[in-house]
Parts: sequence; structure tokens; C-alpha cells
Amino acid sequence: MNGFLMSTDRRPMLLMTPALLWLFGLMVVPCLLILVLAFFRRGIYGGIEYTWTFENIALVFDPLYFQIFMKSAGIAGLSAAIACVLGYAAAYAIAAMPRRHQPLLLFFAVLPFWSNYLVRTYAWIVLLNREGLIVNLARWIGYEGELPSMLYTEQAVVIGLVYNYLPFVILSCYAPLSRLSPEIAEASRDLGGSAWTTFRRVTLPMTVPGIATGFVFVFVLSIGNFVTPALLGGGQFQMIGNLVYAQFLTANDWPFGAALSMVLIAVMLGLLMGQAVVAERASGGKRAPDG
Amino acid sequence: MSDAFLSIKDVNKTFGSVHAVDGVSLDIHENEFFALLGASGSGKTTLLRMLAGFEDLSGGDVVLEGASIAALPPNRRPVNLMFQSYALFPHMTVAQNIAYGLEMDRLPRAEITSRVAEILEVIQLGHLAKRKPDQLSGGQKQRVALARALVKRPKVLLLDEPLGALDKKLRSEMQLELKRLQHEFGITFIVVTHDQEEALVMADRIAIMRDGGLLQVGTPQDIYEAPETRFAADFIGVMNFLPVTAGDQGFVARDGSVILADRVNGTGGAIAAVRPERLVLGDRGQNTLRGTVTNTAYHGLDLLLHITTRLSDTPVIARMTAEMADHLRPEMGQEITLSWSAKDTHIFPA
Ligand SMILES: Nc1ncnc2c1ncn2[C@@H]1O[C@H](COP(=O)(O)OP(=O)(O)OP(=O)(O)O)[C@@H](O)[C@H]1O
Ligand SMILES: [Mg+2]
Repeated sequence: MNGFLMSTDRRPMLLMTPALLWLFGLMVVPCLLILVLAFFRRGIYGGIEYTWTFENIALVFDPLYFQIFMKSAGIAGLSAAIACVLGYAAAYAIAAMPRRHQPLLLFFAVLPFWSNYLVRTYAWIVLLNREGLIVNLARWIGYEGELPSMLYTEQAVVIGLVYNYLPFVILSCYAPLSRLSPEIAEASRDLGGSAWTTFRRVTLPMTVPGIATGFVFVFVLSIGNFVTPALLGGGQFQMIGNLVYAQFLTANDWPFGAALSMVLIAVMLGLLMGQAVVAERASGGKRAPDG
Repeated sequence: MSDAFLSIKDVNKTFGSVHAVDGVSLDIHENEFFALLGASGSGKTTLLRMLAGFEDLSGGDVVLEGASIAALPPNRRPVNLMFQSYALFPHMTVAQNIAYGLEMDRLPRAEITSRVAEILEVIQLGHLAKRKPDQLSGGQKQRVALARALVKRPKVLLLDEPLGALDKKLRSEMQLELKRLQHEFGITFIVVTHDQEEALVMADRIAIMRDGGLLQVGTPQDIYEAPETRFAADFIGVMNFLPVTAGDQGFVARDGSVILADRVNGTGGAIAAVRPERLVLGDRGQNTLRGTVTNTAYHGLDLLLHITTRLSDTPVIARMTAEMADHLRPEMGQEITLSWSAKDTHIFPA
């Protein structure tokens, strides 16, 4: 299967070059610039003073800001967890359908992606509003009591994030689920495993990489997100993305913004590495020569 | 035959319009090594999957030790299946794969550990206990799959082409190994294969399947020496077929000679059949044919002569032992006379 990558043929490298150049020029270089920026001092009237300092990094861990970091991580983690549960269930259901229906179902699952992110988020404002659809629905059913305002809360932000990133999780979980040979699950049933045991001990562990990928994806996109917290959180609280946004665009403190970004990138890299380890474990390790 | 260990009663399976298994009835004895032999698509896997519980029966019943198991889910049947693809769990080590079935039985830890160690000893893979399936060779995977099914000591072990992925030498080793294990564990084996030689070597009894139905059931000797249909005769081993017409004087071959036959199957005989090893050189039997050697095929153990005759369109094949071949040194183009006796001659309808 991986013979293509392991062959001595160098042509595949050639095909990768444009993508690598693109990534290097527009991702790696700016990231390095940010990295350097984080170690300079902020000028008195904004701008940058080119003297080395660790103050910016230290400031990130100041309780005032660190608490925002933790809160963002909490919201991102919760969103990712909810998205994983919902997404895995959906992917499992799709993979259990007859093969010829699966492409269409997947298409429906990712359909929201085809509309604009802002539009989708504004739609939730309409839904969650004090006089929004959900409240009206509750009234129509006959609920008379006091309804808490759902818009401009943490829950609203979580709902918005889960909704927006759910298709990613469905896709990342569907991939390993659809590749799973039915005979593996049958072998478990044959050896005496109930349907639930088979899921818990065979299907789930073998598809954990898909969940890990989906989780990291949603987490990374959520923790740095500043649109959803601004629109659905209504400025009630800040997430780390909003903080970075503010440093660069309103407070004019680029070095501190850079330091925040750097710590964020470090967290994401750590997560991606963790995900790679999970994927490696589930695949059963590398092939070793017979000994 | 109510005392049969495993009774398959008029079992049917249809997939839409495909009749994959068509009215199969079969009684299998305890501790029997039974082989299901048939061409690709003849319904062998489907029948096995029905016994394991992965396909519902479209009709019929399966009775094990007097009780129907047809409605039991796979995990509640005292039957294990070794999959054609092995279906090992890739995220578990060899030892974990083997222990899995015992854990499902909720056996105590200590017993699981000792039984896994014991069976690893039997299949001689103790040193690979901590490997993952991806790190094993085909033959090693095959043995792990076998151990995983065997360690549960099922009443019946179903094996779907267990040796299919192995090379020829390893295959013949494993054929004997399977027989030894079956004897040692005292478990009823039902093995699917499309290799007739394998079935002859391993099985106590063989069933030949064709188009979802059973053609013939019997011991290897029965099947080889007394095939009941032309298909069975052709499918097992090598067989020479000579067209004949049934007349008043008997079965008349194309050159007008009468072929004497003891084994007449059905009515309206249209073809005579004789095995290559039953043909002897010279005019020494009840039936005789003359022809020209047009090809020789050396197999090490023996030499097969292809002889063109007036009796059939395809060359007649005769077998000579290496010893005989050394003496006679048959050459291409050589005129040759062969004979055989009536007791080795089969007659089949068209
Ligand atoms: N799930 C299914 N849906 C539809 N048709 C099927 C299904 N499974 C098997 N068949 C058909 O049933 C017939 C018997 O198939 P089966 O797999 O039992 O053959 P087999 O004897 O095991 O062949 P092989 O030696 O190639 O493994 C074939 O015609 C096959 O196409
Ligand atoms: Mg098969």
C-alpha cells in the first residue's frame, strides 16, 4: 500500500513541490516572523521596538490572560467532544447503509459547508434569539415558564462551533469506518462477543484515529475562532482568538499578539503530535522484518 | 440418521434471484474431518456462513446434538469460523487476538493466560506472542487465525479455504498439521477448499458442491474411484473421456470397438471414462486402444504421456512411473498400445 511512497522513484517529490513552496512561503515564513516578533518589545505608541525580551511570553501566563486561555480551551474541548459524539454516530449510521446510498448521504452531511460561514452563524442568531424560532417553538408546544436567553451565552458559542465543524468530524470518522472489513466485526461476534462488546473492543479502537483527527480539527479551529464568539457570545466574554484579534487590530500590541499566537500554535502542534501517535497505535505499528 | 452430530436439513439460501445454496442436506459425524469441495461460486462460503450464523436461512434447519441452532446469533453458537481473510484484529497482539474468545467466555485470567500459552506452543508461535498481525508472514497469520478459533474448543470448527494464501510446499505441510490438530483436539472440522488434492489428503469425507447443491458425498476413495457424475469424475483428479454410443452389443467407441465397463452410471451412457494410472502398456486388458505419443509431461514423480487416438478429440493421458519411463524411454511420434480392464471403466450419461 505504501510502496508508492517508499519507492526510490523521485517523481512524487516533484509533484509535491508546488504545494510545499506554497506552504513554506505563506505558512512557515509568516509563522517564523510571528515567532520572532514575540520576543521584541512594544513601542510606546504602538509599533515595535527591536530589543529582546521575554516579557510578552511571561504575560501570556499572567492569570488575567491565562484564564482566557483556559476558558477557550474548555469551550473548544467541549465543542470538539460534542462534535465527536454526534459526528461518529452519524458516520457510523452512514457506513452501515448500503454502499450505493453512502455518497448521497455524505453529500447531505457536508451540505452546510457550501454556504458562507457568517450566514450559517447569523442563522443561529435567528434561532436562539429571545423571540427566535426555538423560543417560539417552546411557546407553541405550550411551555409557559420563563425561558433563559440562549443567545449571547457560552452555550450559544458551543452550539455554533459544533454546528459549523460537525461535517469535518463526520468525514474524518467515516473514512476509517467505511474501510473496516465487515469480517473483522464478524470475527468478534463469532468468538462470542455481543454486538456492544464488538463495538467497544473492535470497531471503536480501530476507528479511534478518525475520532482523534476530528477532535483535533474541531479543537484547533474552535480555540482560535473569533467570529463565533463575537457573534453568538455577543462580546460577553473573550476567547483567545478575540484577544489576538484585539492585540493586532485595536490595542496595537503586535508583540503580545504574536506571543499569544505562538503559545496557541505550540498547543496545536502538541495536539497534532498526540493525534499522530493515536493513529500509529491503532494501525498496529510498523511492519518489522521476521525475526 | 437421527443420531448425527451436526445435521444440515434441506438448507436454502437465496440472494435476490441468486440461489446460492440449494436444498443441501448433510449429516456430519462427531470428530469428523469433512471437506466441502467445489468450484468458485458454488456456494461453499455461503453454506459455512449459515452454519456460523452470519446468514439467515432462506429455508431448512441446522441441528447440532439434537437441538436446532438456526435461530441463534453467531456469538451464542458453539461453532467457530476461521475466515478466508483470517480477519485478525490489527490493533491487538497475537496473544490478545487468541485470548479474545476466551475473555468473551468470561474465563478466569489465569486460565486464559495458560490456555493462550498452551496453544501458542502447539502452533509454534510462542516467540511472536507480542507481535501485531501486520508484522506476521502469511503462514504465521494463518496459524494465529487457526489458534484463535481452536482455543475456544468449539464443537464444530469451520475453516474457509484455510490454506488458500499459502505456497504449495507450506500448504502440504499445513494439510498434515491441520489433520494432526483435529485429531489432537477431537473437534469436528468442516473445511472448504477448491483444491481437490487437498480434500483427498485431509478429509475423512468429502462433499462435492455445484451450483449450490451437493453432487456427491463420500470418502476420498469413494469419490475418486467411484464418481457418480461426469462432473465429479472430471473435477477430482485427471480423467480420460471417450465418447461412446450405447448399442445392442454394449458401448461402442468411435473406432467401432466395444468398450467393456463395470461401472455404469445412469442410463443412456454416452461417454466412457478411465483414469490415467489404470492404463497399462501393451495389449493386456479387456479394453485396448492404439495411438501416437504427441507430448510428454514430466512431473518428477511420474511421466504423463499424451496420446492422440481415434477414440476422442482430446489426447488420452497415460501415467508412467519414473521407473517405467526409464526403461521404455517413450518418444514423440512413437506408436503405442494401451489397455485397461472393465472394472476401471466408468460410463456416464451425456
Ligand atoms: N451477499 C451476497 N449477495 C448476493 N449474492 C451473493 C452474496 N454472497 C454470495 N453470493 C452469490 O452466491 C453464490 C455463492 O457464493 P459463495 O461465496 O458461497 O461461493 P464459494 O463457493 O465460496 O466461492 P469461492 O470458491 O469463490 O469462495 C455466488 O454466485 C455469489 O455471487
Ligand atoms: Mg468462498
